[in-house]
Amino acid sequence: MRILIVEDEPDLLRSIAQALREEGYAVDTAPDGEDGFYKAENYDYDAIVLDVMLPKMDGWEILKRLRKIKKTPVLMLTARDQTRDRVKGLDGGADDYLVKPFDLDELFARLRAIIRRSANKTTNVIEIGEIKIDTALRNVLLKEKPVELTAREYALVEFLALHRGEVVTRTQLYEHLFDENESSLSNLLDVHVSNVRKKLGAEFIVTRRGHGYCIE
Amino acid sequence: MKIFNSIKWRLQIWYGLILVIVLTGFGFTAYQLERGRLFGRIDNELHRRVGILANALRRPPPPRGLDENGQPFDRPPPGQFSDGNPPEQNPRPPLKFHLPPEAAGLFDANDLNNFYFIIRSRDKKEIDSSTNQPPGKFFAIENTLLNLVNRVSKSQDFSSKPLPVAYSFGNYRNAVEVLPSGEEVWVGCSIAPELKELQLTALKLTGIGGIILFFGLAGGWWFVSRALRPIENISAAAVKISAGDLSQRINVAEAESELGKLAAVLNSTFARLESAFAQQKQFASDAAHELRTPVSVMLTQAQTALNRERTAPEYRETVETCQRAAQRMRRLIESLLALARLDAGQEVLKRLRFDFSKTVSDCVDMVKPMAGERGAKIFTELSPVEITGDSERLAQVVTNLLTNAIQYNLPDGEVRVKLESQNGLAVLTVSDTGAGISAEDLPRVFERFYRADKSRSTGGNGLGLAISKAIVEAHGGTIDVASEENVGTTFTVRLPIDA
Repeated sequence: MRILIVEDEPDLLRSIAQALREEGYAVDTAPDGEDGFYKAENYDYDAIVLDVMLPKMDGWEILKRLRKIKKTPVLMLTARDQTRDRVKGLDGGADDYLVKPFDLDELFARLRAIIRRSANKTTNVIEIGEIKIDTALRNVLLKEKPVELTAREYALVEFLALHRGEVVTRTQLYEHLFDENESSLSNLLDVHVSNVRKKLGAEFIVTRRGHGYCIE
Repeated sequence: MKIFNSIKWRLQIWYGLILVIVLTGFGFTAYQLERGRLFGRIDNELHRRVGILANALRRPPPPRGLDENGQPFDRPPPGQFSDGNPPEQNPRPPLKFHLPPEAAGLFDANDLNNFYFIIRSRDKKEIDSSTNQPPGKFFAIENTLLNLVNRVSKSQDFSSKPLPVAYSFGNYRNAVEVLPSGEEVWVGCSIAPELKELQLTALKLTGIGGIILFFGLAGGWWFVSRALRPIENISAAAVKISAGDLSQRINVAEAESELGKLAAVLNSTFARLESAFAQQKQFASDAAHELRTPVSVMLTQAQTALNRERTAPEYRETVETCQRAAQRMRRLIESLLALARLDAGQEVLKRLRFDFSKTVSDCVDMVKPMAGERGAKIFTELSPVEITGDSERLAQVVTNLLTNAIQYNLPDGEVRVKLESQNGLAVLTVSDTGAGISAEDLPRVFERFYRADKSRSTGGNGLGLAISKAIVEAHGGTIDVASEENVGTTFTVRLPIDA
């Protein structure tokens, strides 16, 4: 899962980014509106955390422009908690709304919720045969027994599971599993895929030659 | 109870009362006049008849009027006696009376007026009467009448003869004249038609009065409603305002009337209230907004740090970030408190005489390192000016203007500080060569939390200029700004020298 955070308060940006990375997300950051819109326009993020008061281009403007081209789920962060502002945000195409100051757990839960909704899932648990993936607890059960996965491996499983039945290209996987600062060595992905197959069974991830990977 | 509390109703009740009194008085007078006219006519008739009969009693009878004894039945003229002797009082032969022929027609039973008469002797014996006496007790009012006659006779001048007195009894009106010799001449008639006419008149008057009262009250209601409508408008607006809708205004149609002026005064009060409330609300919301960001930083930092075990440098970094956020909150709280105190006039300013140029040059020295960091040069041109005031607070103003001038300057820009004395004012100007402030932002720079650049990159809290303005104004001075985009901004502080 790759997330963009647009926030002009550097300390806040840094700490949210750190917290989300530790949750296993790939995180990109933007310190102002222009940079934020540029990134949102050019990458397919799984979700965007967007502050309203931003230098150069405010959150409303970014949202307005982004909604003309993309359906990326957006969580608005703002210091204003008047209903008027909330209504404006939601009507403007925001998927959810969080008022500062907020608890990190709530931010995580709301992010999971908008990502889940955009993948048309209603619960946090995805069942595929004997495998159960709980996206809230971020764990995977095989025959009711927990399987040890690294954060990257889990992210790979979750992304493919959320796009079950679809063929996910290697480029897509790179875009969603690694952030802008990581050097994406092409064989790194193969390593993760083979590790997951070792832990969850060889047939769990199917390779479509020339196209990508898929969970059927 | 409610009705009596309403001005409208009270006015209406008073108005109605006055109208009723006037109408009653008018109707009563009209009725009395009509009654007087009718009864006057009847009384004239009665008096004429009484006169004729009385004269007939006094006068000798016509030749054919001699009685069986060949004696005239009339008594002698007053003061004269037939036999030259003093009149013997008793016994006296009962008088015989004959209706004079010219009077006979006046007492015809078939006459429309239906007059009747009775003549009685001094010992109340009937001497003669007409045939058409009314039924019932004709003499029931005799004593009343006679008393009246006596009273009238007493009050009358002796030289004039006593008038006949008229009195109504039931449907009849009677007149009586008591002759000096004691005989009573009673003449009466039915006044039923007149009474009926009077009744009709009374009915008419009541009807007309009622109609006038109705239209009067209706018109009064209309007038009162019209006159009170502005008050109703005012009270309706006031009710809405007290319910919290401060945007309400009274519709002022007649600005010149007393109520129009009141409404205008109230409107301007409401407008001031509204803007004060809006300012207060904006201020509170801005203050909350400014506090939210540092609180978010601390909360996220602390929660991230606590999620798992960290190394010492990581904890250190977290604590440092929290400290920065806390200091930012402290600055904001101090600024808010300063503003609140200045607003409430609680800030006690020292009133000391000091050289303002010294304060300014101290401030310049203080910000020089910061200017050096940003590559800005400060040029000063200070003439000594003694003023009275709080040097610490004014130093805060100067520092704020200088840091703004440095912060919003272009790299390698210039800051010019000039202090001089002009017309009893100490004039301080601080100019920079920065990007300037756009014309649309310029009038708002002294507003609380207003920032020309919407980002928080400069680290200020948007209160510096608001506080400076408050301090300068507390000293009886003024602060102004002039700016040209891409040329620079100049702040001018004017302080009275002999404050």
